[in-house]
Amino acid sequence: MTKESGIDSHGLKLAERHYQDYTCSALESKAQGKKVIGYLCALVPLELIAAAGLVPIRIKSDPRQPITRADTLMETIICPQIRGCFDMAVKGKYDFLDGLVLPHACDSICRPYDVWKYTLNLPYSHFVNMPHGTDDSSQKFYREILGTFRKSLSGFVGNDISDSSLSEAVRLYNENRAAVRELFALRRSQPPLISGMEISKLLIALMGLPVAQSSRLVREVISEVKQRKVNSPRLPRVMIIGAQMDDATFVDLVEKSGAHVVTDALCPGLREYSADVPVTLDPLDGIAERYLRGVKCARTYEEKNGSYSDYLDQRFGFIRRAIEEFKVEGVILHVFRYCDPFGFEVPAMRSYIEASGVPVLYLENEYSMLDASQLETRVQAFIEMIR
Amino acid sequence: MTQERKRRVLATDAAASISRMVRDMIATTHRARQEGKKLAYTFIYCCYDEILRAMDIVPVWTENYAGICGAKRDAERFMQRAQAENLSRSLCAYALCDIGFDAWREELGEMPEEPPWGGLVKPDMMLGSGQMICDPRTKWFQAAQHYMPDVPVFEVGLPWIPYEQDYRARDVEDYYVRYIVEQLRSLVKFLEEQTQKKMDWERLSELVDLSDRTWNLVVEAYELRRATPCPMDTGDAMSTMVPLTFMMGTRQAYDFFEGLYNELKLRVAAKQGVVPDEKYRILWGGGLPSWYALSDFDYFHGKGAVFPAETTYRLIEPVYELDLPPSGDPIEHLAWRWTRYWTFWHDKARRRPCSHPDVERLIQYIEDYDIDGILMHEAFSCRSWHPGLIWQLAQLKNIYRDIPSLVLESDIIDIGSYNEADTRSRIDTFIDILSASQ
Ligand code: SF4
Ligand code: SF4
Repeated sequence: MTKESGIDSHGLKLAERHYQDYTCSALESKAQGKKVIGYLCALVPLELIAAAGLVPIRIKSDPRQPITRADTLMETIICPQIRGCFDMAVKGKYDFLDGLVLPHACDSICRPYDVWKYTLNLPYSHFVNMPHGTDDSSQKFYREILGTFRKSLSGFVGNDISDSSLSEAVRLYNENRAAVRELFALRRSQPPLISGMEISKLLIALMGLPVAQSSRLVREVISEVKQRKVNSPRLPRVMIIGAQMDDATFVDLVEKSGAHVVTDALCPGLREYSADVPVTLDPLDGIAERYLRGVKCARTYEEKNGSYSDYLDQRFGFIRRAIEEFKVEGVILHVFRYCDPFGFEVPAMRSYIEASGVPVLYLENEYSMLDASQLETRVQAFIEMIR
Repeated sequence: MTQERKRRVLATDAAASISRMVRDMIATTHRARQEGKKLAYTFIYCCYDEILRAMDIVPVWTENYAGICGAKRDAERFMQRAQAENLSRSLCAYALCDIGFDAWREELGEMPEEPPWGGLVKPDMMLGSGQMICDPRTKWFQAAQHYMPDVPVFEVGLPWIPYEQDYRARDVEDYYVRYIVEQLRSLVKFLEEQTQKKMDWERLSELVDLSDRTWNLVVEAYELRRATPCPMDTGDAMSTMVPLTFMMGTRQAYDFFEGLYNELKLRVAAKQGVVPDEKYRILWGGGLPSWYALSDFDYFHGKGAVFPAETTYRLIEPVYELDLPPSGDPIEHLAWRWTRYWTFWHDKARRRPCSHPDVERLIQYIEDYDIDGILMHEAFSCRSWHPGLIWQLAQLKNIYRDIPSLVLESDIIDIGSYNEADTRSRIDTFIDILSASQ
């Protein structure tokens, strides 16, 4: 994308710095005497960690580096994104952590929990045992699970977590989500005001920042992007769907192949920033509601209402809405090998999207981007086709 | 299609009777379809076998059918079909085999050509039994529904309590049980709607009581395998898992284990072992077997090695040791039994520094069954039982003792992952290590 020169890009520069030096902010918090909790996946209710006065940082991997040490400690049948995270952790990248929180997202996170816990041997660890179902009894159960998590965190910090600090954390995170959505809206224009690559780097950087700092950065980026006058050739508008992306290399690959990545259902991405925590009398109710029912992730089982085609709308309607809102012309379904939750979705999701007239490229990715030539060839052919 | 496969040698008459039992079980599903009985796809260890039986619903054990295809070395064509539907080859191979079969059967409007044992029948409903055993338990039937949109899916949440340092199972078990009870009651409601029939609660209580007694009997029978020489090993247990996993809550399962118990008693008294000259006793310490390569057990036997115990498919503990709160309500009883089963080893693990329930169980079996070495199998397509095996062995060494071990790598039914020559040479090396360590 070519931009009009002369616009100061302080926010984006800062995002780039945090993207490149991902743990720097957590290390600063640590230096200030704060305790830092590492977590995996978009399903850990960060509001609780923040309300306990702890600093959360999402553990991430780097697909540009080979997985080496993890292979002697963790089976290679685990999703490579998670293995990559574990590899980083055992290589010392996250040695500063005081604790670890893993959610019951999928088998690749749930089943090796003990491997993480006993290998890292941190002062604190907790598994948030989220149910799969979204019916009322699952919701009630999850509310109890969050109660146990709250108690556990209180025990760790030696203080009760008050309702008011929880409500404040809810407010801060909702504000943060709203800011990111506002930024996302700047991709609607033709051409989009901000590239997929820039968004991707920013969102990855945010996973390592405390929430207030994160919101400030997003606001800064919004104001500078709004001043932009972009002038780029007309390129196909692409949406990427998948699980967590720890790195902007793939988005970069797509854009370098001649497309604008204008929206996504990724983590971090639209999946994570779409739903807010509803404000409820007991803040835990709202938190349970958002993480169980609000975040549209393949790992969660939505009970069927109505006909099968209604059910597909219920599960994947958010994708069609994003396709319309962002005027998407092609969808890339990007699934990691060994990922059961997303892997099983492919036939239904693919046919649902194609039925709306938008072509789909399904890519099964081994995660490593050390040699992306095969992916590149397929992406280029797809973009050529939708051009 | 079907590749040639070697016949396996079984030690007990009980295990030898299983093949017929499975055939009958599959035939029952075909008959039920003709007779208009309700059929349900379901998963093993679902906690609600007795509910299905009490409502006369015929279970179609989907993992079992895929296992049969694997054992007959005829799973590949179905897995390829699933792959053609864009399902990754890295997903659970059982699921791939069956979804491939479903897609094919639905497209043809009849069974694919020469399906193993008559084929997988189309169900009236599909019952997921999610939460923690594996992701396929929530995703598989949802994916299968794409080919059978008229078949309803019902998902039952069945969490268990993780082993943690920051709280105890006792602190949370009440709300776990409450949730499971609610989930099981919703299941009953769903089944009543599907069958237009009311649950017979008295019958359910009787069946739950029968399966409690079956659990105890299985433990008592399997404990007889402590004897030297070992009267029955894991090779046979991979057959006797059939009544244990597919027939819980039936008289047939109870009678089977009574027969097995009596047979093992006689074999122990007569000092009849699995192998004539028993040299090494190996624990099958984890992992589902390769159904197409069960003759590897014969190979072990040829080296004087037996498997007196296994952790796989032994998802039962003596009910009298679970300390279940008394309840006249069979659903509550099922929920407590499920919950306490999963926390059975927690207290033992807490008594040994840095231990863990899975590791503690290995230690107990090593001692109870006089074990010389451990074998594990890592099936690449199942992320349920296989993650953590390497760690368990390492932790065992850290907190207990160094014991020879081998982790074989292959799959449950994806035969492409198996190399017989390589497997056997690894077994030879393992046997050499066992021999040197004696
Ligand atoms: S990519 Fe899939 S398997 Fe990996 S962590 Fe995410 S949901 Fe789990
Ligand atoms: S436990 Fe493993 S083999 Fe069984 S259904 Fe789940 S993933 Fe498949």
